[in-house]
Amino acid sequence: MSAPATPEFNTRTPTIQSGSTILLRLPNGDAKAVKIDKDSTVSLGRLGAFYANGLINEPFGRTYDIVEKKLTLIPPRTLAEVEDTDATNEYINDGEFVQPLTLEEIQALKQSGAHASEIIKMQIEQHANYSLKTEYSKEKYKKRKEAKYSKVFTTIEPTLFNVCEYWFKKDQTRIRDIRVDALSQILNMANIRPGGRYLAVDDASGLIVSGILERMGGMGRLITICNTDSPPAYPVMVNMNFTNETAAPLSSLNWATADQSHTPVVPPSDVPSDQIKSDRQKSRLNKRKAATDLLNSTREDLFAGEFDALIVASEYEPFSILEKLVPYVAGSGSIVVQSPYGQILSDLHTKLRALPGYLCPSVTEVWLRRYQVLPGRTHPTMNTSGSGGFILHAIKVYNDENANAITSHRRSKPNANSSSSNGKIIIAADPADASMEDANETS
Amino acid sequence: MWSTAREIAAGDTVIIWLTREVVQSLVVTPGKDFNSKFGNYRHSDFIGMPYGSKVGSRTGKGFIHVLRPTPELWTMALPHRTQILYIADISLIISYLDIRRDSRVIEAGTGSGSFSHSVARSIGPSGHLWSYEFHEARAKKAREEFAQHGMSDIVTLTHQNVCKDGFNLTDAADSVFLDLPAPWDAVEHAKQALRKDRTTRICCFSPCMEQVLRTVSALNDAGFSDITMYETLVRPHDVAHVPALQSVTEVADKLKKAEGVREIKRLRQIAAGQRSHENPHGEKRKRSEEGSEQEELPVAEAEDSGSGKRLKTDDEMDDGTPSQDADVSRNLDELSVHTVRAGASIPAPPAKISVSKAIPEVRGHTSYLTFATLLPPMPPAPPEDTASQVPETT
Repeated sequence: MSAPATPEFNTRTPTIQSGSTILLRLPNGDAKAVKIDKDSTVSLGRLGAFYANGLINEPFGRTYDIVEKKLTLIPPRTLAEVEDTDATNEYINDGEFVQPLTLEEIQALKQSGAHASEIIKMQIEQHANYSLKTEYSKEKYKKRKEAKYSKVFTTIEPTLFNVCEYWFKKDQTRIRDIRVDALSQILNMANIRPGGRYLAVDDASGLIVSGILERMGGMGRLITICNTDSPPAYPVMVNMNFTNETAAPLSSLNWATADQSHTPVVPPSDVPSDQIKSDRQKSRLNKRKAATDLLNSTREDLFAGEFDALIVASEYEPFSILEKLVPYVAGSGSIVVQSPYGQILSDLHTKLRALPGYLCPSVTEVWLRRYQVLPGRTHPTMNTSGSGGFILHAIKVYNDENANAITSHRRSKPNANSSSSNGKIIIAADPADASMEDANETS
Repeated sequence: MWSTAREIAAGDTVIIWLTREVVQSLVVTPGKDFNSKFGNYRHSDFIGMPYGSKVGSRTGKGFIHVLRPTPELWTMALPHRTQILYIADISLIISYLDIRRDSRVIEAGTGSGSFSHSVARSIGPSGHLWSYEFHEARAKKAREEFAQHGMSDIVTLTHQNVCKDGFNLTDAADSVFLDLPAPWDAVEHAKQALRKDRTTRICCFSPCMEQVLRTVSALNDAGFSDITMYETLVRPHDVAHVPALQSVTEVADKLKKAEGVREIKRLRQIAAGQRSHENPHGEKRKRSEEGSEQEELPVAEAEDSGSGKRLKTDDEMDDGTPSQDADVSRNLDELSVHTVRAGASIPAPPAKISVSKAIPEVRGHTSYLTFATLLPPMPPAPPEDTASQVPETT
């Protein structure tokens, strides 16, 4: 058995290229975004600086040590088995003077070009109580010092997971609290696949758009609706290092141009050739014509409908968005709405339950817990994110006015239809409406 | 995989949505019927309907929705042969393992095929999934399903125990997913099957912490790095549409009103008592009191019999205390005004609000997801000449 022979699709550049914005993992565990330009010097603050050329054409995921601005490739860290001893912290007291090595002496060592490992070794040698520490405590001490003096970093492959994690740590409000587990669920619930057709409203800095494009792999169609006159800025996409082919399915409309009853006002681009005075004017008109053509073709695509899913992560009232865009979603298509707030989705849920075109709207919250995995020291991380947001999912269906619930003969009894097991309250005034979704559930 | 046409055709696999708990799949076969407690249907009636249609039963009682399959709906509908993976775990694994168009993925075991369908969707028509199942009957059933769902081209299913016999692959896969009782026994085989020309990833799915610890040390020994572990769940919420919560000011107003009514009754009875001193016929007194109450104090109607009893005791306590007729009637006037005002301040019935909370019983644990990365081997030590790293000085 062997892998298929066809050349693979490159979602992103497989190696680091000049002009890429890439993520680096620093010794303290934080990720930092840096731009790699040929012949430039990249500064990492306390870690010092290095020549960018050392990373160009390198694969992602490697670990380097900065030595005099040059990069030395070093092996990845492995988990060190810690041999437990009888030591306890019985004889270690707070506030004791244990480190005769002064800050000035350490500074001098650093300036003399001493390697981090040498400084740490000296600190350990001078440390009065080091030998009293437990082996686990010694490990922790070394790790803390390494984070302080080491000039080692690792390039992070810009997978969707890594980029989402980076943004969530950096500024989770800008990505509307979409944690990586929420993003993953949204993409699965919306059935994103190569070749699908999707509508998205992304006020989450382009995180949703990045996820959809990555899963489409350059095949299919993605139309986003934004609130700006010009094409939307999706800053998360910069970190994804997509190839042009990956970004190709995307085009954008705004809330005015996405309105079918509205005729966008565009400047004329069809000027008779005898009126064109210069090449500059001609190229300007050509550009304008290309923009107008793109606008018109995108509108045609949208209004043709039959999209496989609608994905919403927006600052605007979600029901108003659904009212406008759900008509363009195909039957059986998924509708996925994300919000940092449960309340907003509860309100939306109440509205959708009363409508026959939405099958089984449901609200879920995501939950994720990461563990420290070290031999003999495995436990959930001490600090974790409190919330990764809420998701509402529904399936678009075509109603049939003539279809009746199996329980229709029981309608004379009040509440016969609303006794669903999950305690849902049906709010429609007319029990015939209320039965549309749940009547089957009552028997 | 499944039909992407707008309308349902003969031979399509469709999802029949009966309720949120009862979701089934069937292959549309003209001549066949679908019978359920939600009515009887002919397959041939589905043909030509758009996916997502609500269909009423032939008797007019009961309906179903006919949906286009997705891996998520398939997970709800599939026949369980084993414990299966659900969306929270599946979606996080797909993201972490970086599974996307054209990815080459290994899974073991196949189980009920819940994860397989998600992978097949994400890798698209030119990716590949090698799936291994050591249970012969399950392997056979899964193979049939994959064929029925048009996945035979991209899924290779092998009946094999990978812990013993490995994957028969070398440098072939971008990622490996192990859902096995003893994943540590398959780690070295997985390493052999993974590509060495790029970063590759592995996920081991185990319900118990003891399994995680053994897996972690096997991964570490095999040279995997960046070992980490997650647990993820979905918390479904119940949404209720309930009246907006009442303000205690309204409660206070009601109590004040009741208080006023009680006082009016008391004063009225004192007044009646004084009159009865002048008129010693007890029965007549009672009747006249009732009559006057109805005339002057319609607000008192709301009072229940319980508070009436309490009023009597108050009266008994107050019996015999000297009071003046003029004072009593003045107090009555003031109280009536106060009582009416308190009543008027109660607003119209409040609007409804939507509230939500996690459902009472939720899935509390599925499995631990242990992830690790395998980096391409280190290149041989670079030649002494490192000039390429230094910008040319011009």
